Amino acid sequence: MANSSANASATKAIIVLVVAGLLIFTLPTVMVLMVGMIPTFIAYATDRRKEKYKTVSVGALNFVGVLPLLVTLWTKDHSFDMGFSVLSDPFNWLMVLGAVSAGWTIFLVAPTFVAMFLTARIELSVDRLKKRQSKLVEEWGDGVSGDRKANQMRQQVDRDESDDEGEGEEEEYEDNNG
Amino acid sequence: MGTVVLKDQFEIDDSIPLVGYDSPTARAFACKNVADAQSGLVALVCDPNTQMRVELIEALQGFPGTGLVKCIDSGVVNWVPSGRRQPVLICEKPQGSRVFETLETVIQPLTDEQIISGFLTPAIVTLREFSSRGLTHRNIRPSNLYYADDSARLIMLGECVSAPPGYNQPLIFETLETGMAIETGRGMGAPPDDLFALGVTLLSLLLGRLPVSKIEDPYTFMLDRINIGSYACIVGSHRIQQNMIEILRGLLADDVTERWPLADVELWASGRRMTPKQAKLPPKAARPIPIGGVDHENIRSAAHGLSRNWPIAGDIIRGQDFDTWVHRSLNDEQTINNLNKAVGSTQAVQSVPKAEDGRLTARVILALDPAGPIRLGGFSTHIDGIGATLAMSFNDEALRNQISELITSGVLKTWLALQGRTKSEIMNLYGIIEKIEGMIGLPGVGFGIERALYELNPYEQCMSPMIEHLYITKTAELIPALEAVAQGSQLPPMPMDRHIAAFLAAHSEHIDERIMRPLAHKDNRPADEALKVMRILARVQSVYSNGAAPGLCAWLRELTKPAVEAFNNIKLRQQVERQVVQAAETGFVVALMRILDDSKVMELDRENYRKAQKEYEQCSAQIHRMDAGLEQKENLAGELGEQVAAVIAGVIASIGTTAIVILYLT
Repeated sequence: MANSSANASATKAIIVLVVAGLLIFTLPTVMVLMVGMIPTFIAYATDRRKEKYKTVSVGALNFVGVLPLLVTLWTKDHSFDMGFSVLSDPFNWLMVLGAVSAGWTIFLVAPTFVAMFLTARIELSVDRLKKRQSKLVEEWGDGVSGDRKANQMRQQVDRDESDDEGEGEEEEYEDNNG
Repeated sequence: MGTVVLKDQFEIDDSIPLVGYDSPTARAFACKNVADAQSGLVALVCDPNTQMRVELIEALQGFPGTGLVKCIDSGVVNWVPSGRRQPVLICEKPQGSRVFETLETVIQPLTDEQIISGFLTPAIVTLREFSSRGLTHRNIRPSNLYYADDSARLIMLGECVSAPPGYNQPLIFETLETGMAIETGRGMGAPPDDLFALGVTLLSLLLGRLPVSKIEDPYTFMLDRINIGSYACIVGSHRIQQNMIEILRGLLADDVTERWPLADVELWASGRRMTPKQAKLPPKAARPIPIGGVDHENIRSAAHGLSRNWPIAGDIIRGQDFDTWVHRSLNDEQTINNLNKAVGSTQAVQSVPKAEDGRLTARVILALDPAGPIRLGGFSTHIDGIGATLAMSFNDEALRNQISELITSGVLKTWLALQGRTKSEIMNLYGIIEKIEGMIGLPGVGFGIERALYELNPYEQCMSPMIEHLYITKTAELIPALEAVAQGSQLPPMPMDRHIAAFLAAHSEHIDERIMRPLAHKDNRPADEALKVMRILARVQSVYSNGAAPGLCAWLRELTKPAVEAFNNIKLRQQVERQVVQAAETGFVVALMRILDDSKVMELDRENYRKAQKEYEQCSAQIHRMDAGLEQKENLAGELGEQVAAVIAGVIASIGTTAIVILYLT
């Protein structure tokens, strides 16, 4: 137990050192990324859901918007000057914020479409069940639906069923039919 | 008015009444044989409420001689004047007239010679034939005698079929034993009973009128006959030729062992003469016993007195005076033995509860007078008269209850124990009574007093109010009768009632207890009752094969409608309805029954109905759940929508990233 805990701590330390090293050697990238991904941080801050769907939706498209800036930085000059130059270009911000707005749009519109889809699916199922019920009534009469009068008649005829059972069923039918 | 044909053979003209041949319970009409118009016949249209001795018609077939008005055939006809079906007897028509038009008629007294050769000799031949066939006439009286021809030389006995034995006989023509019973309960009796009636009839011919014209009080008259003898009482102060006294004393003897048998009468008729014997009177007790204010000096008189004073009889029997009278004053070992057999010791009598007084009195009367009628609750009958009494008094509730009490009281067992030799017919009848004893108290349809009625009277018509007017005596006639009822406008609630069920159970060997018993259990649902009835009628119709009955089937169809409506499946119900209509049109109840009595189909229908109900319920529950889901769709769609948005954004981002990488790096 002590050995495994020590190993995990060592692994964590190695990872932190590696990441810290990388951050030190890629500071312009980190700077552009940190500034460009601010909308994602805002989305994260307002996302109350454990699964962080809002963060994922906004963040994914935010990253797509920031990626061209990073590629420019990596391909031209990986320096703070270049980083500031990229960040100061309004077209770049238009691209980044455009991508972010696309992410927000998807996040806000998707539930409405899903609700419409679900409603349609439930209504179809209810229609199918009601048709089946109508067919049963057509085949067996109103009594099959738990109609009180019809059931009383049937119960009189059907001696095999006990009175208690019959009354229980009636109550259930009434409950079901509201 | 017109003619009606019986059995395609006898044409009865209801416009020609033959009043001279009427009997007290039947009216005579002109009749001719279709095949032989010259045959002299008379049709006696009988009172449907009076029981006939149907068994005699068969038993008297081939009766020889001309001493009896013979019954040739019988049947039931639609009698227009009464508007109902009535039984008819076809009898030979005597060539001469009736000897006494009525019992009040006074005629020229017949001479000894006329009586002996014209009446007594043929009557002896006739009664011997009756006796050899084990039968009795029981209807011999002056008003039932006819001259065999216009010369008025030969006298013949009238018919004896149209009423129960002794029913139409005035009291003077009955022996002490039969006279103490009510008219319907006099029973078939024995040849000596006919000989007694023959003696009184002979006396009437001798006098030209009845010897006793009017009986003011039958009880007192019978009491006098018991005490001073029938001969003294009936002949009274009439002057009789010396030669006739002998035969009259012989025939009017109250003691059966003293009464002349046929052989003695025949010897007398052929000329043998002896000194007339004095009538033997019953032995007197040392002192009389007072019962109801009248002193009784012999046992039969005491029995008669007890039967008359029913309310106080129990107290008298328990009293010390009665015990002392029986054991000391009467001094008759046989009577003491009988009493011991019937009611036990004096202590046993004392311990009988007050409520049992009726039965106690009946047993004591039987012990005192075992040859007399069985008396219970003021009603008296011979054992073979119980059936006729029940049949003719069925609508009299009090009498019906008395008969019921008589059968179930155990008094008949006492009666049997006190009899010496008993005829086989009586033993058979006792067997039937033992059988019905257990049924009479059962309340179910097919049992009760109605069952007793038909078990005791194998030829009795069915008294069901719905078919009584159709006079049905055979179970084979039941379906046509019900069909006739069904053709009418007013249908009874059910084509079965207590009478029809009892009639079938008693008279049909094909309808046994197994078939009848379900009827005994009352069902609340009319269709079930109708189905039970239908099963029985289907059996009756198939057993007797008496044709289609579409009216009855339509009636049953209406009654079994609830059974058809009990089918849950609408298509199946409609199909059954169509089949029932078709089956009813065929007129065969069994066809209806096959459709409505298929328990497998009914059970399958019920099972499928239960399944359908369950399925409907499940559908309702699912709809309910979906409705609830629809109400919560915003929550569900919110989470799912965000999930979907994350996926879409992820997919777009992947594609975008890939595109950018490719675009910048190439």
